[in-house]
Amino acid sequence: MAFEPKPMLPGDTFDAARRFAEASALKLARLHDPAARAAELATQWAAVLELGWAGTLVPEACGGAEGTLLDLAALAEGAGSAGLALPLAATCAVAPTLLAGQDALLADLAAGRLQPCIVLTGLSAEAGRLSGRAVGVETPPAPSHALVAAGEALYLLDLAGIGFTRHERIDGRLTLDLEVQGVPATLLHADAAALIRRARDLGALLTCVEAVAAMGTLIQQTIGYLLARQQFGAALASFQALRHRVAEMYVAYRNLTGLVQAALAEPSWQNIAFAKLRLGEAGRFVAEQAIQVHGGMGMTEELPASRLARRVLMAEFEYGDRHAQAARLLAA
Amino acid sequence: MDETAELAAFRAEVRDFALTHCPPEIRAVVAANGKLGRKHWAPWQRILHAHGWGAPSWPREYGGTGWDQRRRHIFDEVLAECDCPPQYHHGLRHIGPVLIEFGTAAQKARFLPGILNGEEWWCQGYSEPGAGSDLASLKTRAVRDGDDYVVNGQKLWTSHAHEADWMYTLVRTNTEVKRQEGITMLLIPLSTPGIRVREVRTIDSWHHVNEVFLEDVRVPAANRIGEENKGWTYGKFLLDRERLGGANVAPAFRFLERCRELVARQLAGPAHALKREQLEYRLLLAEAELRGARELGKAAVDAVMAGRPLGLMPSELKLSTADTVQRIGAIALDAVGERVATRFRPVDGSGPNAEVEDIEWVQNFMYLRAKTIFGGSNEVQKNVVAKQLFGM
Repeated sequence: MAFEPKPMLPGDTFDAARRFAEASALKLARLHDPAARAAELATQWAAVLELGWAGTLVPEACGGAEGTLLDLAALAEGAGSAGLALPLAATCAVAPTLLAGQDALLADLAAGRLQPCIVLTGLSAEAGRLSGRAVGVETPPAPSHALVAAGEALYLLDLAGIGFTRHERIDGRLTLDLEVQGVPATLLHADAAALIRRARDLGALLTCVEAVAAMGTLIQQTIGYLLARQQFGAALASFQALRHRVAEMYVAYRNLTGLVQAALAEPSWQNIAFAKLRLGEAGRFVAEQAIQVHGGMGMTEELPASRLARRVLMAEFEYGDRHAQAARLLAA
Repeated sequence: MDETAELAAFRAEVRDFALTHCPPEIRAVVAANGKLGRKHWAPWQRILHAHGWGAPSWPREYGGTGWDQRRRHIFDEVLAECDCPPQYHHGLRHIGPVLIEFGTAAQKARFLPGILNGEEWWCQGYSEPGAGSDLASLKTRAVRDGDDYVVNGQKLWTSHAHEADWMYTLVRTNTEVKRQEGITMLLIPLSTPGIRVREVRTIDSWHHVNEVFLEDVRVPAANRIGEENKGWTYGKFLLDRERLGGANVAPAFRFLERCRELVARQLAGPAHALKREQLEYRLLLAEAELRGARELGKAAVDAVMAGRPLGLMPSELKLSTADTVQRIGAIALDAVGERVATRFRPVDGSGPNAEVEDIEWVQNFMYLRAKTIFGGSNEVQKNVVAKQLFGM
């Protein structure tokens, strides 16, 4: 029996999220035009909101499920295992953490009326007005607002009437570029530094969960490919150089899994920073090698493994890359 | 007290004992990454034995502590955190358990006490010039002659043979059958006529490994473990019991901390800022990897406690730590290499700097090359992992 990744958080939540993400990936794979994919993502995002995922961490009193971090992580792990191209961590972890205590907004978030993107850098505030340029901000297909960290303050910016440009990231998710000059915004917290750090850390942790799940599937698909593909009259899986490469990928994946599990058990910023730092190294290695051992196929856009590899590569840059994490750890 | 509190109390008890009873001069050798020998281990073993902690992995009836796997793990971890030497393994962890499982009553009575109190020293006669990773190809012959076996052949990489009293040895007693089925395990006193031990000079300038030549060495059949031609089974039993050895990452963490101190000391000041920052970054990457390995180690201990199979965990652990520890050694080499690698071995004179400070870091870098070679080389471990992953 060839390798099958074992989920860290098995159960119905994981299974449901995985099924959803697999179906999503199949639909997206048939579409070649970015605009068509964005439209498909909008449909899928509506389904995600319908399922109530945005309210996972939101208190019941605000219409949420009042779930734990592990409930959300199970969702992220299932979704990540098939590389779901939707902003789960941002909407389900970062946003409710930033909105802690703002019951009305939390209720809007859980109900899908508030669909924010999260702007952590690029904008500054003066007298309640925001200015600056934020680029490559992960976003729901049709964002209603931006939750903006400006210095130590937290603002809610209504995006109605504000122009922005959307792009597709290397992993197929949507981002937006935004440029504003003195637009009014609602101040949510004047002194939100700790809240912003915490939200960012949880975003990083959920990103690690998604990425490690994607790495498991990626290794599984790589093994499947090497078993099936015949060259020189033999399965590629019989060549020791390739077998050893896969063993190295597996060990890197397992090592990272250990760090992510430790961070889930005790989500201190240090545990999260070490996991994210290691994701930078291990994720990059696994993604690059998966492409390499797939040969020319690894260079093709429609290969599921190459899509997962791009998801893992992208995860490095969400919520602080390895150098940002290292800088924090070294300064502590 | 619940289990968590009990384990915390146990941890504190071990720490307290280690810090008060392990001689400072022995801990200083560990703290300086020095080379450990019988003269360090034997007194430490005597102290542990006197306290009733001589054999953490043995059952009580044989003088062991009877601790479960978790307590043994904590014990090893705390010893490392306190810079105490790890217990010498050839007697306690290798041949001891084999004797307990397969030895005769006379063998147990003869050999177990000397292992417990540290008075008798063992080494392992497994590898040969032609049998390294492929151990089953070993050729050292033992031929039955009356009440004795007559042994001829050569062992290689025999760690500590130069300071050991006994060698548990795999020999070939049948050449007609499948390779694994013609091997026997003998206990051979190294004082027996016909044995010659020669140092193998290694790149770290430390003496640990030897060649052992056996020429018409007479070994009483009473020194055979179990049955003739079943030696492979006993050898495998021994290795299987050692599969959790890699779960203790604490020594690697101590090594990392010492390296971090070295980098801070060696590269202080603005002139070294870039190099210091690069090395600090590499240390952080190594720490992240060790933290991951530590979690894998915990999972492995949990699996044993729950009676679940270990699967690939031992290989995962070894592959997760061996390279990392080498990388830490390389960081230290980068920190001191210019100053110390240039003065590796003294030639003559008694002038200044006869004692080269920090030389152990260069020796360690060299020594650590072996980490990915012994105990199943990285390549063998990857074969094991791949076989499982590919199902072929």
